Amino acid sequence: MTVREKLLNPTGSDAAAGGNSLAPRPASLRGLTVGLLGNTKPNAEVLLAEIAAELKSRYDIGEFRTYTKDYFGTPVKPDLLAQVVADCDMVITAVGDCGSCSAATVADGILLERAGVPAVSVVSDSFLLSARAMARVQGFPGFEFIAVHHPVASLSVDELRERVQGVLPDVLRVIGAEA
Amino acid sequence: MSAIIDEPLADAAEIRSAMEFYAEQEWTDGLPVVPVTESYLNEFLSATSRGPQEVLFAVSHLNRECTVRLAAINAAMAGCRPEYFPVVVAAWDAIAKEPYPKRGIWQSTTGTAPLLIVNGPVRGRIGLNSQGNVFGSGFRANATIGRAIRLTCINVFGLQPHQLDQATQGTLAKYSACIAENEEESPWAPLHVEYGLDPADSAVTALVIRSCLHIEARHTRAPEQLALDLANTIRRTGALIHETTSALVVLGPEHAQAFAEAGWGKDDVRQAIYDRAVNSRADLVAVGKEAISRHTRWRVPADHPDAIPDRASQGATPDQVPALISPNAILVAVAGARNAGVSTVMETFGVRGDAPSSIARVEQPGR
Repeated sequence: MTVREKLLNPTGSDAAAGGNSLAPRPASLRGLTVGLLGNTKPNAEVLLAEIAAELKSRYDIGEFRTYTKDYFGTPVKPDLLAQVVADCDMVITAVGDCGSCSAATVADGILLERAGVPAVSVVSDSFLLSARAMARVQGFPGFEFIAVHHPVASLSVDELRERVQGVLPDVLRVIGAEA
Repeated sequence: MSAIIDEPLADAAEIRSAMEFYAEQEWTDGLPVVPVTESYLNEFLSATSRGPQEVLFAVSHLNRECTVRLAAINAAMAGCRPEYFPVVVAAWDAIAKEPYPKRGIWQSTTGTAPLLIVNGPVRGRIGLNSQGNVFGSGFRANATIGRAIRLTCINVFGLQPHQLDQATQGTLAKYSACIAENEEESPWAPLHVEYGLDPADSAVTALVIRSCLHIEARHTRAPEQLALDLANTIRRTGALIHETTSALVVLGPEHAQAFAEAGWGKDDVRQAIYDRAVNSRADLVAVGKEAISRHTRWRVPADHPDAIPDRASQGATPDQVPALISPNAILVAVAGARNAGVSTVMETFGVRGDAPSSIARVEQPGR
């Protein structure tokens, strides 16, 4: 009566495909078009504008272009991704300050890097584990993103400016523009 | 001395070692799971006409999909009997129609849970509780069908807490949340009939829920008073993350019958709650929720960098702010015992203003 059988694995497997190397970094930021991809979360646009202002004050950036995802909880849709990739030399995307959008912001950065566009994904530091878990699910476990001090949504413009000052060296390093 | 049971005998150490194995793999909600092998799985797969590789629900941004086979493995682990499996399949069909689960709500800080409401003859066939203690414990079908969804979220979709599940606090309903409607003591058409199915059909309605709030009103049978108690609960400012909210009202049979005796149908109940679920502008200013954020339309104070005026502030009565966008933001079901004036409001994350998109038929036995 005793029949010994193998136990079954109940998990889904990651179907992730795609590379895990970064897009080539430009030799200089001079004249480049930088995309600012907002995810609609409160203060995302303000945060991106502050980062843009800092970059503009340091480098001879060509222009900034602003894009807005239609929903923060899932990665950028293919049409918008294609447009951003066609328009921009590099992209900054924000802000992953919730459970779904922290993961989605990292997924956006990975999608952009795989499409050949250097990307800076900005999440809040309360969501490091979620952001890293998404990088693993996407098959890019070492993907580097920027973590600003939590919270973001409830900050004033002055407080956001302070957050940007705190992470600016990391932003510059990720886009290959330190020095 | 405690009694000893003569039959059956068990190798308890071997059972424990299998359960410990699952726990070590983190293939659990924290409670022990039932070991599943291919022969036991086949009993579940035989209970449905759906093929084992058919995809029931996919979350593309997580690169994961739930097949019939994976849903069955997790249902068996949750403690379901094979004859429950058609309800689990219908639950996934319903969840797949919902707007929020595919958009990352299960990763959210909000900490929601899927709630299932079962209607029709399958309730009696498999022993689903629709009466006393309907949200509580003690009924295998309710407990394990709800748990089958949770285990699948954890195992198939990788929604481990502290990882991709970032719930700030979550809800107790994340262990299991499956009720049946008390059609027999409801004065109205069952939920699935209201949404176009036949009374002889069985169906599962899926909702995304957060809070579960009691309504105590044992003193009255006046429908206006009952509607006001429900409305005051629904409009509470703490619930207002979005511009407006939505709710499932689970009336105890006594409250449902009080409404019906006054000649009220479900639409009258919905309308009366909608009319009364209104906050004053001053109430919202006092908690800093008088405006909304430009894109997400989440409530924020008027001096927030992203603030724009809410919809009500541009209407004829800007100081009166409806908490609901329409009477249809309320679903009404009947469940529980007919023994007290007690009802429940479940706050939902979902469609705000339409009938639920998320109802699916349960396959009949002997299909």
